[in-house]
Amino acid sequence: MRTVLLASLRTHTRRYGAALLAIVVGVVFIVVTAALSSSVRNGLSAGIGEPYAGADAVVDDPSPEDAARLIDAAAKSGADAWMIGWTTQQVARDGKVLDSSADVGQVPDRPERRWQKLVDGRFPSGPGEAVVDVNAAKVGEIGVGDHLRVGTGTGALDVTVTGLVDSPSTYSVASVYLLWSDLARWTDRLYVTSLAWSGSGDLAAARGAIDDVVPDADTVAVDAYVQKLQKDVNNGVDVIAIVVLLFAAIALLVAVLVINNTFAILFAQRARDFALLRCVGATRRQVVRSVRLESLALGVLAAVTGVLGGLGLGHGLVALVRHQWPSARLGPAEVAPVWLIAAAAVGLGVTLVAAWLPTRRVVRVSPLAALRPDDSTRVSTRTGRVRVVVGLAVVALGLAALAAAVAASSPPVLVVGGAGTFVGVLLLGPVLVPGLIRTAGRLAHRALGPVGRLAAGNAVRNPRRTAATAASLLIGVTLTTAVLTGMASSRTALSAEMDEQYPVDLAVTGTATLPPDVVTRLGAIDGVDGAVSVPGAPAEIAGLGKVPVVAEPSGAATGVRPVLHGDLPSVGSRQVVVPWDLLGDGVEPGDRVVVTVGDRSARLRVVGGEGWGEAALVSTSTLHRLAPGAATQAVWLRAADGADPQDLAGSVEAIGSPVGAGLQNGLARRSYVDVQLDVVTGGVVGLLGIAVVIALVGIANTLGLSVLERGREHALLRALGLTRRQVRRMLAAEAVLLAVVATLVGTTLGVLFAWAGVRALVEPAVDGAHVVLPWGQLALVVATSALAGLLAAVVPSRRAAKVTPAAGLALE
Amino acid sequence: MTDLAASTRGLTKSYGHGDTLVHALRGVDLDLPAGRFTAIMGPSGSGKSTLMHCLAGLDQPTSGSVTVAGRELAGLDDDALTRFRRDHLGFVFQAFNLLPMLTAAQNIWLPTELAGRDRREPALAARFEQVVDTLGISSRLTHRPAEMSGGQQQRVAIARALVTAPAIVFADEPTGNLDSTTSAEVLAFLRRSVRELGQTVVMVTHETEAARYADDVIVLTDGQIASRVAA
Repeated sequence: MRTVLLASLRTHTRRYGAALLAIVVGVVFIVVTAALSSSVRNGLSAGIGEPYAGADAVVDDPSPEDAARLIDAAAKSGADAWMIGWTTQQVARDGKVLDSSADVGQVPDRPERRWQKLVDGRFPSGPGEAVVDVNAAKVGEIGVGDHLRVGTGTGALDVTVTGLVDSPSTYSVASVYLLWSDLARWTDRLYVTSLAWSGSGDLAAARGAIDDVVPDADTVAVDAYVQKLQKDVNNGVDVIAIVVLLFAAIALLVAVLVINNTFAILFAQRARDFALLRCVGATRRQVVRSVRLESLALGVLAAVTGVLGGLGLGHGLVALVRHQWPSARLGPAEVAPVWLIAAAAVGLGVTLVAAWLPTRRVVRVSPLAALRPDDSTRVSTRTGRVRVVVGLAVVALGLAALAAAVAASSPPVLVVGGAGTFVGVLLLGPVLVPGLIRTAGRLAHRALGPVGRLAAGNAVRNPRRTAATAASLLIGVTLTTAVLTGMASSRTALSAEMDEQYPVDLAVTGTATLPPDVVTRLGAIDGVDGAVSVPGAPAEIAGLGKVPVVAEPSGAATGVRPVLHGDLPSVGSRQVVVPWDLLGDGVEPGDRVVVTVGDRSARLRVVGGEGWGEAALVSTSTLHRLAPGAATQAVWLRAADGADPQDLAGSVEAIGSPVGAGLQNGLARRSYVDVQLDVVTGGVVGLLGIAVVIALVGIANTLGLSVLERGREHALLRALGLTRRQVRRMLAAEAVLLAVVATLVGTTLGVLFAWAGVRALVEPAVDGAHVVLPWGQLALVVATSALAGLLAAVVPSRRAAKVTPAAGLALE
Repeated sequence: MTDLAASTRGLTKSYGHGDTLVHALRGVDLDLPAGRFTAIMGPSGSGKSTLMHCLAGLDQPTSGSVTVAGRELAGLDDDALTRFRRDHLGFVFQAFNLLPMLTAAQNIWLPTELAGRDRREPALAARFEQVVDTLGISSRLTHRPAEMSGGQQQRVAIARALVTAPAIVFADEPTGNLDSTTSAEVLAFLRRSVRELGQTVVMVTHETEAARYADDVIVLTDGQIASRVAA
């Protein structure tokens, strides 16, 4: 049998090309994931302990106030403390916003503690000086000697850049570093990951000193803390790697379908060869062993190619990113051998599993089959009635489970229902898909004439093959459209939330009364859709200091061009709504405070809220009582759709800064959330795209193998008067019909799953969430798959059209 | 000689080159009169199928000329040849005659449809009725090939070849796959189409029995005409 095996491998290898490609892509996916995650892990781990060099102990996750107290206490006692953390502030130069949310961190006071690596210039020597991260400097084109304004409004700080630095670790990197004396003004807006303490060099002593200041501090040894960080890094990377591998699993599942279909078709085409082998004395076992060995050889080839290709691609990608975008902070890629072995094993296993069923069918070939006349005109296998009944039952159960999941808001039931419905549809595939193709074929007939009808006829000729090919595409399309629909629905829900949270796009709030022309000047900025002047007055709130009070201008929410996205909290005449970040230190919601404007004052109950800038909100009647002649205290702006938040902030700052007004950029936060959603959607669709690509390879493969089978038919058609172009068009139409029908079924399922998912999971969690169909994106999915179907038909149809009628008829 | 359906002059066809050079046809001069049933006979490898393929524009000759229905085939490109076949020729093959996914009627109408002709043209519709009646397959029109016997399939193929009233019908071993009774039936139909419908039929066969139905028999050996017998 060895001669037979080798000869058949030689003869048929080309026909295995597509199946090979499908497995290779899956294996490459795994290896590249391993390479990238190792690179990310190395990048994140690099220098992770350096900021703590020289410390005796680390306080884990202190509150910003505790951190401030410890730093002050250390300075007084002769010890040394520095914190790793940030405050997020706007950074501008000459009134132009460079970054609306830059991380501002601390550069330690003592030179030997400065963990940042100086690249250019010098470290700050006193207040009003800063160093800037070298990558952030590149993006903002910041140089040594530049004057920056950090923060907005009264709290803004003007600094001179004295140097550029690089951070040894991703975990401690900030865009701008200030000395503690400058940074301390934002203590209430700091996020502190940890605080390093250096005293006598003894952990116990350090712990004692820290406990004296902050009794309940979580003080740990430096090594222990760094190990914990390292563990967090590993866990984080592992979680992402697992999510990505989930997509690799989906891609491999699709590959299984493609390979399974390839084997089924190839073995069907070679049934006569097998029968002949049986006739000349090969036992069943020998025949099966030879085809199993064949699939083994294919699997080994695919696994090796995939591992090598994956290593090349993975290392190449990492090298490219490290070279082009050093700020991405990727480390070197090191793929552990266990990954390579696992990826190869998965590729091999997938091949063997996919080949198992078709090889079993080979056994059933009777030796007599070799003697029968060629029966390639035989009509397709009929679909078993059992299969249809079971399929319908599974779909019904799945749908019932989906309905139950919606009713009970239960994620596990949702998964069961989704999986059930999908499996049921796959079982019904051999009936469902050809039926739909026949229907669609009528359109093709109308559009393309006889060629269209021939294409539809060809597409449904072998329902099982058609269904298996469609199934591979179905998986990717279902998941893609479900994600798109789910994301669109969540986006709408989130945007309603955002409207509540950030009712004002840009709030310009003065510390003193604003000049009257500011509102017209702001309103005239390109990209501003509406501007409204907000009445108010500079005020003093007991316990909070100077905080301007404003009242909602009439018509801001309902005017001809409403400025507000959502409603502001309704304020009672005895209430004052104070921004959350001002509360906490002594004044809590529910407290009664005295609000004073000039010589008038009122006792008001404090309520927390935010979204309109740094001002307290009072009712119009209260404002009237406090400041009868209230003038413009703030201006609220509505941005035009698609306006760039950074550009807009820059233009607004240019007008606001000279009059001492601070800016709150709700638009930037809103667009940040939008960008996050876009990134997630894009990432998921991109990863699913790999499964879709494999499915398209499958369509090309099925078509290519069918073309080989139909050589004589094509020759006959050519003899009867079908031009080459018509032959090509016929095959293209077949591929497009198949792709579009699979996509439509997939889209229907995807939308159904998204609907159930949104109803079951999102609606209970988010008020006002409902299913939103992203029609444009769905249409794009269908159009893309039709186009891809055309693409898949290019090679097979060219090959089919090349056959001359005489040569085709003389086949065999 | 006004009624020539096809003729060849110095028709040569060779395959391969150097040591593997094979001459399938060596300068064949042939005139096929219209309205007759001609059989081309010869042993395997005598070049009879190649001759038919060249006559039918399915294959390009190496040299020499082929004129069919007054049209010189040399110099026609693939599309022009395809259209020529569609409009002027009919084919009946040994096997793979019918497309499995189409019904008998759809198979018969296929060349007409490919040519973009309207099957409701009175002449065409009448021809369809006549052909289907003559071949006795009117009860089989909605059946697919797999639901028909070999003889019925061949009759459908003949109907398809006849329905456009082509200048010549080429039949390549039309009885090769059939038993003797069915063969006789199919050959009788081919002859009837010549007698009753005035068709020109050229049949390639290696069965002497089949050749007996023909008006003329041309015998080919080693790519040359060995004899020509008028029945």
